[in-house]
Amino acid sequence: MDDEDFEDLFAEADLLQGSSQESLTAQLTDVNVLDRIEEVFERVLEASSTKDELAIELQRRPRTNRPVLGHRPDAGRGHVRFPGKTAEEAWRFTVVVRILELIHETLRTGAVISKRDVYYRDPALFGSQTQVDRYVDDIAYTFSVPRASLNIAAAAKGLLAGAVSFCRRDGSICSASTDREGMLIAALRELLSCDVSKVKWILVIEKEATFRSIAASEFWDTVATDGVIVTGKGYPDIATRAMVRYMSTPSPQNGFMAPPVYGLVDHDPDGLAILSVYKSGSIALAHEGEDLLVPRLQWLGLRREQFLAEENLLIPNQALLTLTTRDRRRAIKMLERCDDPGMRTALQSMLVMHTKAELQILDSNPGGMTNLLRSALGYDGC
Amino acid sequence: MSKQYLQTQTLPPDPAAPSADIFSLATTPSHLLVASGHSSIRVHRIRGQTIHADTAEDEHPYPLIQTLEKAHPLGAHHICASPDGKVAASGGFGGEVRVWQLSVDESNGEETWTKRGDILPPKTKKERDASDSGESWALALSENGQYLAASTHDGRLNVYDTTTFSPSNTTPERITQYETKGSFALSVDLSPDGSLTASGHQNGSIYIFSNTTRRLTHSLPGLIKPVRTLKFSPLNRYLAAAGDARIIALYDTQSGGQIANLSGHASWIMSLDWNWSGEFLVSGGYDGKVKIWSVERRECVATQTESEKCLWAVKWLVKGAQARNESFVTAGAGGTLAFYREASGT
Repeated sequence: MDDEDFEDLFAEADLLQGSSQESLTAQLTDVNVLDRIEEVFERVLEASSTKDELAIELQRRPRTNRPVLGHRPDAGRGHVRFPGKTAEEAWRFTVVVRILELIHETLRTGAVISKRDVYYRDPALFGSQTQVDRYVDDIAYTFSVPRASLNIAAAAKGLLAGAVSFCRRDGSICSASTDREGMLIAALRELLSCDVSKVKWILVIEKEATFRSIAASEFWDTVATDGVIVTGKGYPDIATRAMVRYMSTPSPQNGFMAPPVYGLVDHDPDGLAILSVYKSGSIALAHEGEDLLVPRLQWLGLRREQFLAEENLLIPNQALLTLTTRDRRRAIKMLERCDDPGMRTALQSMLVMHTKAELQILDSNPGGMTNLLRSALGYDGC
Repeated sequence: MSKQYLQTQTLPPDPAAPSADIFSLATTPSHLLVASGHSSIRVHRIRGQTIHADTAEDEHPYPLIQTLEKAHPLGAHHICASPDGKVAASGGFGGEVRVWQLSVDESNGEETWTKRGDILPPKTKKERDASDSGESWALALSENGQYLAASTHDGRLNVYDTTTFSPSNTTPERITQYETKGSFALSVDLSPDGSLTASGHQNGSIYIFSNTTRRLTHSLPGLIKPVRTLKFSPLNRYLAAAGDARIIALYDTQSGGQIANLSGHASWIMSLDWNWSGEFLVSGGYDGKVKIWSVERRECVATQTESEKCLWAVKWLVKGAQARNESFVTAGAGGTLAFYREASGT
């Protein structure tokens, strides 16, 4: 892997996840977006009749992990042109027109399609999913609307289980406390409200494997009555982030509850990066970050003391891994942009110790994970 | 016979960065230099601090006299100073090394540190491929500060001549490079007489190189686990090394033989230091414990357990001529500096 591509990697990681997002503004802007797409096409048509060069304005999303509240960060403004100077430019123009056409169709019919669907409509043209993801997000940015307003979503990815129930738009109630397998996290637009009155904590977990092992452990009984466990399966998609925020931020929809949110991730730079995506947003989607953030998210683990503490010396040292060159560069890149003091110290000491550990290390002690959760979530005293 | 040390002073974390860890300390005859997760390096005065139990204690025995602002934007992980107190070098998380020099104002005797030059890491992939210097990590300076040894991520040791800095040349000349088998070089030291360079590695290897022949003289067996700290004794005779193996290994630098294992730490050993006479070692562990070892008796003579937070750095303070008792300083997670001195009459 080329080290120079880290910025991009970070960005792609989010894009590739696919995403879907609900926003109250969605319905308000539908018409607006339709109008604007038609406007674009009209202008293209006009230009073609006057034999001018065809051009569509497209803004590139800013590369910053700090969503700038209140005003839009400086955007890379540009035009895609046809026929353009190169074959690539002509291709880019075609891609944008094709995507706009598909968006126009979804908005007119009210159907929601996924970014994968978009790609499969014309794989020969798009070449790769990455291209679709990039242009869909750029188009949403250009129109200043969340991607959900384009009726383009992603297949559900996140999982959730625990003492929460949801009221759907069709009036049905579904509880997440019965199924240990977890339920897929759907777009919020399907939901009217959620009942988190029994929820004392929300635990966000990096890995699906850990989610499943907690659900299968004796700790499940506590989860089913007291808490919620969530996994975004690595870098979370927008639906998962929106759900965590929906459950934890006081609103009429969740009964004005504010249960604390904890993060359980690998002890490595990616784990910390995932935490910071929930907490302060991603780089690729910095423009629609504000209403997805969970700033109160606390780092529950994996902390170094949790696997190095004296009583845990049983853990075979082999389970500790050495940071790779990629890990170190990743950590330094994060250090360059991070201003959360706790996160900075965690990154710095990780670089000094030059070791990392995965969540699975806790399974090397019987009941290791359950013990950690019990003590960290305050169940030790009872 | 055990010894007793009393905590005489603690200095709270840097108000500019209250949650930053202190990762490294360096001492000179007059100063204590503090490198932390914050961007600035702090300098405390320690000269002439002859605190005896029978004298009135000064309220501020270790005053902050200088802050080197924005020395390392991402924070600093290593700092070292030449024993003569004229030159210092610090390493930042961004991969940059800065060399500092002490200037004395003739009129009022005021001492200040100023930057002499930098060793910058290769920035792009192209530069990285073209450069054979790698990225610097641990640092050590020779007696008069002329030679700077810097270990690298890929296990190399670069030795620079810091006197080649000039206003027009802010990059020092590399004198030599020692190659090892590529394991991350976590620690490095230069012998006080300048004749030897030693390195400790992630995979447990320890190497000693001769600076006169520029060849490897010893590849030392023993620790297997990461070697986080190593130091030559003041008379160049011994090398002490420690790390995740939780023991301090003592080696004879001439024969390369291992002459002792000091065991007693229950946790990883992050840092160690010889006192001026070579009679005692101080070591600090990940569990916050400090141990003082008698080298002659090969045993621990004192354990301090004030903190449970990781100690990244322990250092003896250079003993003033009139000082009767020796002092050391510890620092680590939490950013507090703690000073100890030997109790009188033991």
